Amino acid sequence: MTAYILRRIGLGIIVLWLVSVVTFFLINLAPGGPSAAVSFERTASEREALLKLYGLDDPVLVRYGKWLGGVVRGDLGVSYNQGLPVALLLKQRLPNTLTLGLAALLTATILGILLGTLAAVYRNGWVDHLVSTITTLGMSIPGFWLGIVAIILFAVELRWLPASGIVSSGRSADFLDRLKHLVMPAGVLAFTLMPNVVRVTRSALLEVNRADYVRTAKGKGLPPNRVLFKHAFKNALVPVLAVLGLVTTALFSGSVVIESVFGWPGLGRLAIEAANGRDYPVILGATLLAGLLVVAVNLLVDLLYAVVDPRIRHD
Amino acid sequence: MPPIRVFRKARRLLAAALLLVAASALTASAQDYDPKGSLTFATNADPTLNPWNASAVIESNLINTILFDQLVRYDPTDLRPAPGLAESWETAADGLSWTFHLRQDVTWSDGEKFNADDVVFTFNDAILVKELGANRASTFTPVDRVVKVDDYTVVFELNRPFSSLPYYLAYYSGMLPEHVLKGAENPLTVASFNKGKPVVTGPYRVDEFVSGAYVRLVPNENYWGPKPKLASITFNIIPDGNAQVAQLLAGGLDMVSITNPALLAGVSRNPNLEVIRQSQNIWYFVALNLDDPRFQDVRMRQALLSAIDREAMISAIVEGYGVEATGPIAPLLQAFYDTDVAHWPYDPERAKSLLADAGWTPGADGILQKDGERLTIDMPTGQFGYLVPATLLVQQYWEDVGVEVKVDTIEWNAFIQKAVVNRDYDAMLAWWSTPPTPDQSGYFASSAADVGNNIPNYRNPELDALWEEGRAATTLDGQIAIYNQVQQIIAEELPYLFLWYPDMIAVRNTRIGGMYDINSAANFQYSFNWFVKP
Repeated sequence: MTAYILRRIGLGIIVLWLVSVVTFFLINLAPGGPSAAVSFERTASEREALLKLYGLDDPVLVRYGKWLGGVVRGDLGVSYNQGLPVALLLKQRLPNTLTLGLAALLTATILGILLGTLAAVYRNGWVDHLVSTITTLGMSIPGFWLGIVAIILFAVELRWLPASGIVSSGRSADFLDRLKHLVMPAGVLAFTLMPNVVRVTRSALLEVNRADYVRTAKGKGLPPNRVLFKHAFKNALVPVLAVLGLVTTALFSGSVVIESVFGWPGLGRLAIEAANGRDYPVILGATLLAGLLVVAVNLLVDLLYAVVDPRIRHD
Repeated sequence: MPPIRVFRKARRLLAAALLLVAASALTASAQDYDPKGSLTFATNADPTLNPWNASAVIESNLINTILFDQLVRYDPTDLRPAPGLAESWETAADGLSWTFHLRQDVTWSDGEKFNADDVVFTFNDAILVKELGANRASTFTPVDRVVKVDDYTVVFELNRPFSSLPYYLAYYSGMLPEHVLKGAENPLTVASFNKGKPVVTGPYRVDEFVSGAYVRLVPNENYWGPKPKLASITFNIIPDGNAQVAQLLAGGLDMVSITNPALLAGVSRNPNLEVIRQSQNIWYFVALNLDDPRFQDVRMRQALLSAIDREAMISAIVEGYGVEATGPIAPLLQAFYDTDVAHWPYDPERAKSLLADAGWTPGADGILQKDGERLTIDMPTGQFGYLVPATLLVQQYWEDVGVEVKVDTIEWNAFIQKAVVNRDYDAMLAWWSTPPTPDQSGYFASSAADVGNNIPNYRNPELDALWEEGRAATTLDGQIAIYNQVQQIIAEELPYLFLWYPDMIAVRNTRIGGMYDINSAANFQYSFNWFVKP
């Protein structure tokens, strides 16, 4: 088990290194440059001074070497546009993305499993059709559109919830205020993530329902609820866990959109702003952190398989 | 009556009178403004609280205008230079220096005195140090250095006349505290200052800066001017324009500036909101790359402008919130704006005949040709504001007169790299936002071609000389005469194809009082007047 984890961590480091290489050279291939230097007003001499300040007058390989050397020492560099250390920016933004992500993931998982189970139990009935309509909508409606509609409905018309942001000014310690700000972005993000969970739960349960041991349980006269929860459910969880790993990855790309619509100061918005402004150190830092989280979640999910299904062994 | 009783009675009377005075004072202030009133605005990204840092642009300019007083500010009636941190100023007879006399009653928010050392530091140790890449550093190239005469007098020593210096000193040019930033390796990148609670001279100071969420300002107790009337001013960080308008409609914001007039539709229904429309110093243009011999023929430029229906574009693109442009000096500058110049109204026939005069005749495919070469124009455009639809309209108009136009829509930053940095375009549509001075040489002078803001790379020695004369002219009448000549040459020569001056549109809550209906750059210099109606 320890050897397995160590091997996975080693592989993870290699993956992250590859991510850094691809990201670094891709962003340097992209046209444009740091927005402070590449702007309408900037004259050639001002631009030159800024590029030199940023260290962008070095050849690209030298810059990668310097950057990687910094990363190994725990220094992710300084943001061109914000003037703050990248590590500090990530530290400020990560908790916000985790709050949003966990809230959305939890909502999507609980609702997804519930709806998936209902759809499986009442297969082909009206409940199943209703659930499949909801999941189709969740899969096909783009998050940014749903976000704007939600803002118009809940913030502008009904005035129940704040339109954007993470907290009202001067109330940064007010939990209820923060919760109110969280509801819409987390709800919209959850709605777009949920369909995968619903569909996998439904099909996994239907599959398990056809298994011999479930038929045996039913045959020996156990009540349907007991069959469902004691025998079928736990075994149906393995594919659900797998899809949760995937959903977590989707969470990062989804949060990029949702954070921009709702003005949520998380990693996604940081990454988008950095990409638009060609803030190379921030793009690299945010990509690396997202990569790290995805690698970690996948490892965790693989380890959880063994907990849920004792037949799976990591040797 | 024993004397003690008299005294007691008098004291009671006095107390009653005082109470009355206090009560009337309270009612007076209650009628004037709400002392607990706070305002909330929006900005589209985390600001950088140092007006000279290269990253401090549109998201930071207005906040920095509140925080950092300038030597000069705009007169709210005619936008001419008016006293700020400097009480008065004069230029030498040869125009090669300017002397500024500073106010003696100004303290920084930390209690230190503001004096000549701060001005000297702001220029000599920050703006004029080329390697630091300060905002607008190129604007101040006529300034060699700033010299302290005494604690409250400074002299700007120039290498050539610069009559518009006071105008530029009123344009996002806040003074920095020497006692805080001296000793920093780079005074423009001190993180605790730029992203924290900087020491300021303005009416409000930073109380809280929550990255990605908001910046909250409260009154600066040490402010030298009138006592600020708001309990706080908050800038919420909302990147998306639609979300800003939604927040305004939901009552969460008190003022939003609108760049896309299409968003006004939902606003007009709300009785608590008023739409403020102001002329401003912005001109939209099509630049033709004058390194290209085809566009060096002035008839070509005149033809291409005559082919564009600007009136139709103004109503289609900015919903009528704009005025047809004739040159770089906007109507806002009443004293200088000259309407007696060449006009190029929409006239496709005139365009065709000018093109024919220039040797371009229709080929078999209907596209104009000259010496076997088709008239094809590459027109890249960037995804920003309404540049893309405006470019597509120009494409339509030019195709109507037989020009083939290839539009290439690219991401904004990549567009700037291509069109502005590399000058890699035939035609491109954009805008300039300028300080309210007729001195716009930076966008036209030969010295600014290739390396500066002269994007079309226009070169005209006659105009270069006039710009220099304008900078050397010390009387208003002298300046007016020169800039009228400048406008006439520009309208005839068309270094840029001028499109329109867009109006500044702000939507604000009717509960706000004390704001000037002028452009934001000037309005925000008078934030101490703002209040919330009771």
